[in-house]
Amino acid sequence: MDVLPLLATGFGHLFTPVNLAVLAAGLVLGMLVAVLPGLTLVMGVVLALPFTYKMGVAPALILLTAMYVSGTYGGAITAILFRIPGEPMDVPLIWDGYEMARKGEAALALGWSLVAALVGGLVSAVVMVLLAKPVAGLALAFSTPEFFAIVFFGLASVVTLSQGSLANALISLCLGLLIATVGVDEVYGAERFTFGQPFLQDGVEFLLVMVGAYGIGEVLTRMGTGFAAEGGEAGSGAARFRTAFPSLSSILGMKATFARGTATGIVVGIVPGAGATVSAFVAYGIESQYGKNRAALGSGAAEGIVAAKSAATASVGGALVPLLAMGIPGSGATAIILAAFLLHGIQPGPQVFVANPDLVYTVFATVFAGVIGMCILGYFAIRPLCKVLEAPEAIVSAFVVVFCFVGAFAARNNLSDLNVIAAFGVLGFLFERYGFPIAPLVLGTILGPLAETNFMTTMVSFDNDWTVFFTRPISGGILALAFAGLAWPLAKAVLQRIRASRSAHGQPG
Amino acid sequence: MPSILRLVLPHGLLLAATVLLYAVASRIASNVGAGRIGPDAWPKAILVLMGALCAWEIVRRLATRPRGAAGADPGEGNDAGPPLHPGKLAAGVGLVVGYVVVVPWMGFFAATAVFLAAFPWFGGTRRPALTAALGLAGSLALVVIFMRVAYISLPLGTGPFRELSLALLGLIGVS
Repeated sequence: MDVLPLLATGFGHLFTPVNLAVLAAGLVLGMLVAVLPGLTLVMGVVLALPFTYKMGVAPALILLTAMYVSGTYGGAITAILFRIPGEPMDVPLIWDGYEMARKGEAALALGWSLVAALVGGLVSAVVMVLLAKPVAGLALAFSTPEFFAIVFFGLASVVTLSQGSLANALISLCLGLLIATVGVDEVYGAERFTFGQPFLQDGVEFLLVMVGAYGIGEVLTRMGTGFAAEGGEAGSGAARFRTAFPSLSSILGMKATFARGTATGIVVGIVPGAGATVSAFVAYGIESQYGKNRAALGSGAAEGIVAAKSAATASVGGALVPLLAMGIPGSGATAIILAAFLLHGIQPGPQVFVANPDLVYTVFATVFAGVIGMCILGYFAIRPLCKVLEAPEAIVSAFVVVFCFVGAFAARNNLSDLNVIAAFGVLGFLFERYGFPIAPLVLGTILGPLAETNFMTTMVSFDNDWTVFFTRPISGGILALAFAGLAWPLAKAVLQRIRASRSAHGQPG
Repeated sequence: MPSILRLVLPHGLLLAATVLLYAVASRIASNVGAGRIGPDAWPKAILVLMGALCAWEIVRRLATRPRGAAGADPGEGNDAGPPLHPGKLAAGVGLVVGYVVVVPWMGFFAATAVFLAAFPWFGGTRRPALTAALGLAGSLALVVIFMRVAYISLPLGTGPFRELSLALLGLIGVS
């Protein structure tokens, strides 16, 4: 059992003044890019990469890993308080976190989010250290049918979870999947729905859809229905917006939710390409279908926050396993960390555990320290952010719009993207107005390319034999769960109708 | 607008868009051999599902609408949210679209200063000194954060606005 001495060595490397300063900077930067709507975690890590060129390999990896860890939390604050997800992974937090905030329980929602991030992050860090090689071996068994099944499960979950009409949720999802097909397709290189516009050849960034529909759309909705009076709702409720940790008994009462979320985050995080977003959605979906309090999900239940946030943070440890053990990045951010390794002449994989164990365990130590540092920072960062709520809503909304535009523009430095985000802002408003849920639209845009690529690759690899999705045990099992989740609301409605009909016939008269 | 039309309008528009997009998808060029699915298969499958859902929803709404209540809008109760202030909404959409249109011309600093002053004004914060100061100070702060701290290259504008942006950047030490 040489893990503990190696981990101690990793902490020894981390706890030098320079590396600690780099760790702190990474945590703050990660939190900042995740809090700012539109500036994504991956974008933040990409922006930081050039600054690591002249660093040593250890500080470079500490900086990027710390950003990655802390970036999984920051967006939770804006999602819960402002209904603006800083990251796609924070979308599920809107459904319950924002609802709790609207009920005057913002502080508790933030507390649950912080506890979930801490538990998910630390448990996944332990798993990452203990099971790096065996779990990486398991992920090798996954092929495109399994990837497609996991993505399908995430998509089905969000449709099942949507409030209101199932048909409208499916239409919203279809529109999102369709938006994701715009541009040059990855398998054949054919142009689709570009209408002769060069800027559409690169496709429509999910960031534009997400920030436009949620951020701008929400601001337009609020403006159309009238902003809250100055210093009214936000100002009078300032005292509510502190962090309130849930009691130990209520945390223990939700241990199954913590376990499900964390385990989902670790497992999905290990799957290359899935990452924190899919983890959060899948964990939320599982909770909505199998959780004790599933009926309350989407209406301000703490279980929804815990499932999504513990999974998102737990995915960090999971995603680092295939990166370090096999050289395969498990998420967008780990792809940038892989680039940092390669820039310093180190190829992650089985050999790195032999040749550079100090480096590997310094990364592991960074995850442990990063999770704790992120929670401390998250606790104190909430307070200055809550001050923003005391400003008149119209002023806050104006800044939100500008942040949305800058975040979206910075992704590609393309002025055409501003038109796209404005269009999706109006679409988001119309969706909200006419009862189409926005979440399936956004998720369809985010996961659409992953779903299509894995579907098409499977069809090409298996000679158009679609039954392969069902005959392979893992993909078949996951798809069965997804279909069961989709069929359940319909079956429930039919059963209720039959019961109502029977009781009506049974009554005298 | 007649209530029946209002009832099916969103899904009707989506269905029409679906039909048009299916026609566009049918013209997607591909050199895929016989028996293999091409790049048009995935979007077509989505469009078929979307069209079927829209058609289903239109039929369902027409079939389940309450009859005999002249002028009543059965779909409104489900779809429409709280009452709208059309003037404010139009101002909001106009400002957002206007900001996008003028940013390339006015540059980030000037366009943002105007936007940050105008948006709260139309949103109900009728304090001219506050909104004007907010516009200038807020825009300046955002320029510093994004262009000096985060190194994000934002539009400088054209003509005199470009000169203004460059002078400002020189002032805050961005070359």
